[in-house]
Parts: sequence; structure tokens; C-alpha cells
Amino acid sequence: MKHTTDRKGDRKANPEGWPESRPELQMAAIDHVLAAEEELVPSSGFAATVMERVREEAARPAPIPFPWMRVTPGLVLAAGVIGWGAWQAARSAWPAMQEFAENPPPIPATVLLQLEEAGWVALALAVSWGAWMLSQRLVRRSGLL
Amino acid sequence: MNPAISAEEDLADADRVLAGETVAFEGIVRRWQGPLVNMAWRYCRDRSRAEEMAQEAFVRAWRGLAQWRRESSFSTWLFALAANVYRSELKRFPTVVVPLEEIAEPAGAAHQYEAIVEQIRCEALRRAVLALPMRYREPVVLYYFHEMDVSAAARTMGLPEGTVKARLARGRALLRKRFPHLNEAAATGASAALRTGREALQ
Repeated sequence: MKHTTDRKGDRKANPEGWPESRPELQMAAIDHVLAAEEELVPSSGFAATVMERVREEAARPAPIPFPWMRVTPGLVLAAGVIGWGAWQAARSAWPAMQEFAENPPPIPATVLLQLEEAGWVALALAVSWGAWMLSQRLVRRSGLL
Repeated sequence: MNPAISAEEDLADADRVLAGETVAFEGIVRRWQGPLVNMAWRYCRDRSRAEEMAQEAFVRAWRGLAQWRRESSFSTWLFALAANVYRSELKRFPTVVVPLEEIAEPAGAAHQYEAIVEQIRCEALRRAVLALPMRYREPVVLYYFHEMDVSAAARTMGLPEGTVKARLARGRALLRKRFPHLNEAAATGASAALRTGREALQ
């Protein structure tokens, strides 16, 4: 906005005629306006309404506690079965995994090339995502959003 | 209200409520209804919604009274709880606000309308606080609610004073940027508006 200097030369006025304040005066004015908020008086029935709700809450039966005593044996049994199953699966798969580690199948050169390209694409995506996150963070900090 | 007497009464009432005497909670409600409704009003600037939010804060306070550890004063605990309630209520159902960029300062006016324009300007500024991003809005709201006491605002928000000061400075800077022609006349207008409001209440 174009501003013009008034006769005294120390304060500026905009075309609409409002004098432009110095920052400290503006801060003081903001403080005055926001601190001089009119006191709101709660409506006459407010306390009664709150107490009515509190009494309703008090009259409500207490929530039923979770039946840990009944559930615990079942949970222990389920955890045991899952653990035993995992152990059996790992034991049966172990020889095959050893075999694979010792004699890995040869990977064709074309597949290796494709994997390298995919790696670059993943890196580019990660950098873009990082830049986007950073810009979002900066915009939020600046208060524009 | 004498803070020492209030603190003693709060403590006594809290003990009675925890002993199962629900009716003792009414004392707490009567003592704190004004501050909690006014605090909610500053969050939403909608009278009926402010009362609803304050009511919810009281019910949560009743439910969670046992969690008050008495390390801090009852008021600090209650304000922090209320701020949490108001914050989550406003997240669930945000207030309808005009974006900060769209809030214009009223243009210059003829001399006889200056007082009215200043009043409108003051109200626009108060409403502009609601258009600030939440991280700056809450420190501004609580700073002025606690009569410009940064440490009280920080306690209510549960944040370090430095963080609150930084956010407050940023929030006020955004307001200053939005209202470049605000000056001491606005303060006079605010005082006049306050006087008129008080007279109307009386």
C-alpha cells in the first residue's frame, strides 16, 4: 500500500487517512483491547445445570471392571500356542534357510539393473517427501496455515 | 474473592466430594463458573457454546477430582483441565472463523463515526484472535485471560514459559501485521465499549 508522509514528517498516513502507528504503540493498543475484555456473567441456571449433570453422572452405576481373572488363562494359553507354532515353523524352515545362505541362487544382470533403478526411484521419492514435510513444517511455524 | 480463602474452600470441598458428598461440588461450581465461562468465551466468542464447554469442563473436573495431586493449586489444575477440554472441543467442532488474511481493518471514517469505528475495530481484533493458528491462538487467549501473566498462561498450557513467550510474540506480531493502523485510539474505544457494556449490565 502506498503511504504518504504528513506535515510533521514523523508519522505516515495511508490514502484512507488512518495514521500508521509505531510497532510499540500498536502492541500497547493490542494489549489494551484484548485485556479490556468485557466480563461475561454466567446465566442464572448455569450452576444448577452443571450440578444436574454431575448428579446424573454420580447416579450412573460404576463401569464393570475388565474380567482379568477370567481372561488371563485364555491369554496365556493363546500366547503359548502361538509361541509353540512359531518355534515349530522356525525349526522346520531352518535347514532350507541355511541352504539358501550357503548357495544363493544367481541373480540375472537385468534384474540387478532394475533393482538399482528402483533404488534410485525410492531415494528420489524419499527426498521429495522430506522436502514436502519440511515445507509444511516451515509454513505451520510461520503461521500461514 | 480472597485467593487464600478460596483455596481453603476448594480443598475442603474437594475432600468432601472425594468422600462421596456430591453436593459439595456445587461450591466449586459457584466459585469457578465465572472464570471458566469467561475463559471458554475467549476460546470461541459464542456465549451459549462457552457455557456448554464450561459445563463439560466442570463434569470432567468432577470425574477427575481424585487426580488432582495437590502439588499445584486447585485453580491451576482446573484451568489446565479446562484448557484441555476447550482445545479438544474446538478440534471436534471448530468455530466458524474468517481467515486472518480476510479480516480487513475498517476504513477511515468521518470524525463523528470514529468512536463507532474504533469499537468495531476492537471487536474485529478480538475476533481476529480466533483466526490465529491454534499454536499461537491459545497463548494469546490465555495470556490476556490471566491478566497478561505469562507464567500463569504457561502453567495452564503445561508448557515452558519460554515456549509460551515465543508463541505469544509470534501471535501478537501476526495481529499487529493484520491491524497496522491500530493505535492508542483503539484503547480508548475499548475502554468506552467496556464502560458501555458494564452500564448495560448494571
